[in-house]
Amino acid sequence: MSRRARLWLVAVGGGALAALLVAACLDLPAFGGTRHPYGDRAVRESLARHTANTIASINFDQRAFDTLGEISILFAAVLGCVVLLRQTRDEHRARPEPEPVALPVRRYALAVLPVALLTGLYVIAHGQLSPGGGFQGGVVAATSLHLLYLGADYRALERIRPVGLYEVGDALAVSAYLVTGIAGLIGGTAFLANTLLPYGTFNTLSSGGTVPLLNAAVGMEVACAVVVLLARFLDQAVEIEEGK
Amino acid sequence: MNGWILAATVALGTGLGTALWGVATGPLRRRVVAQNMSTALACPALLLLSQGYARPSYVDLALVLALLGPVGTLVFARLLADDLADDPPRAWGVTWVVAGFGAVVVGAVCAATGPSPEMVKLLVIGALLIGGNVLASRALSGGFPGAGRG
Amino acid sequence: MADAVIVVVLLLVGATATTAVAVRDPERQALVLSVLGVVLAVLFTVLQAPDVGLSQLAVGSALTPLLLLLTVRKVRRRAQDKGRQE
Repeated sequence: MSRRARLWLVAVGGGALAALLVAACLDLPAFGGTRHPYGDRAVRESLARHTANTIASINFDQRAFDTLGEISILFAAVLGCVVLLRQTRDEHRARPEPEPVALPVRRYALAVLPVALLTGLYVIAHGQLSPGGGFQGGVVAATSLHLLYLGADYRALERIRPVGLYEVGDALAVSAYLVTGIAGLIGGTAFLANTLLPYGTFNTLSSGGTVPLLNAAVGMEVACAVVVLLARFLDQAVEIEEGK
Repeated sequence: MNGWILAATVALGTGLGTALWGVATGPLRRRVVAQNMSTALACPALLLLSQGYARPSYVDLALVLALLGPVGTLVFARLLADDLADDPPRAWGVTWVVAGFGAVVVGAVCAATGPSPEMVKLLVIGALLIGGNVLASRALSGGFPGAGRG
Repeated sequence: MADAVIVVVLLLVGATATTAVAVRDPERQALVLSVLGVVLAVLFTVLQAPDVGLSQLAVGSALTPLLLLLTVRKVRRRAQDKGRQE
């Protein structure tokens, strides 16, 4: 195909897409209206299952299968990064020199690390009650560990971060999600159906049936995935050099 | 629209608008300070919004921002230390003004909440916010003296 | 009137996103991107989507800048090594 023909194809395709989008926008319900057919049904279902945070109910109960797809995407993406950023045969590892850090910065990093880790776990554990959940809390917890790199040096981080263990944790967490789903099948209902556990008292930590369990699995998966991902990036940026 | 949301709108419009101007133009030393100020301003604004919408659970956003905002600035301070070493930022005036704004907002929201577990959470957020941003400013102006080796 | 805060934050998002595209140097772009993350989180909050806002804050405030700056550092170091060999 010639350059001219390609440009025409892009122009026609783009124009048609733009026209369709504009037509769709003109037909949208007005901003901030009072009729919410999907929202009303989702809220009714989540209240019936004693889940205070409707978003958690949608993500981990009503559409838990979608979330399985999402965590598989993250798992595959991190796997791809690990393969791409491995140490090749013509590269060697140089020991990074420790970087001098001003004392207040070091103290701050070491003081905030446990607070941030605790906040991450809090966000995961309260996913069924308030905004947050496995993904958000997992990222916060994984980020908190890297305060050791920022406030101390890379070797301090490596000491508390055996990457192999986190890779295993990542895989185990995805399996835990699958096993919770299959447990529904064995229990005589559908895959990932929230029928196994008692729904508990509304607005307490143990409410929502399997929602907190799936949240915990996703939290572990995301935290391990982010640690493994950052480990590969840090290895490349700090340790691995070209030439033997 | 109530007073809380109005205050948040003004803070966001002027504060984040200025921070955006600072981060988009000028030398690197100004840009990193503006980035730090953007998180230091957005966190009190999130507290004001949570109070304005009467939704205490929205406070979690301010908590996460108060924790991770300074960490983000530390990332820049550490990895741009080479570039900042020749021309370190000196912006204590702005830092203390924004910290004062954070303190006023936390105080006002605490007064509206009254003594309760929520108030303790707000005070923790306030301490993390102000301590974190003052420290992040300190880290930007020479927190990593032997820049760029690790 | 009640939507004024939404309009203000929407304008901020538009301006920040345009700036993020217009700035050419990757390190400075990372700085603008980090501000964009914060502004987006505020937009999600005023549109009553705190779950999404929390995700944006968690990813955008420290993780994305760290990944970007580590990549820039690796690319620079490789360019320096190449320059030394020649």
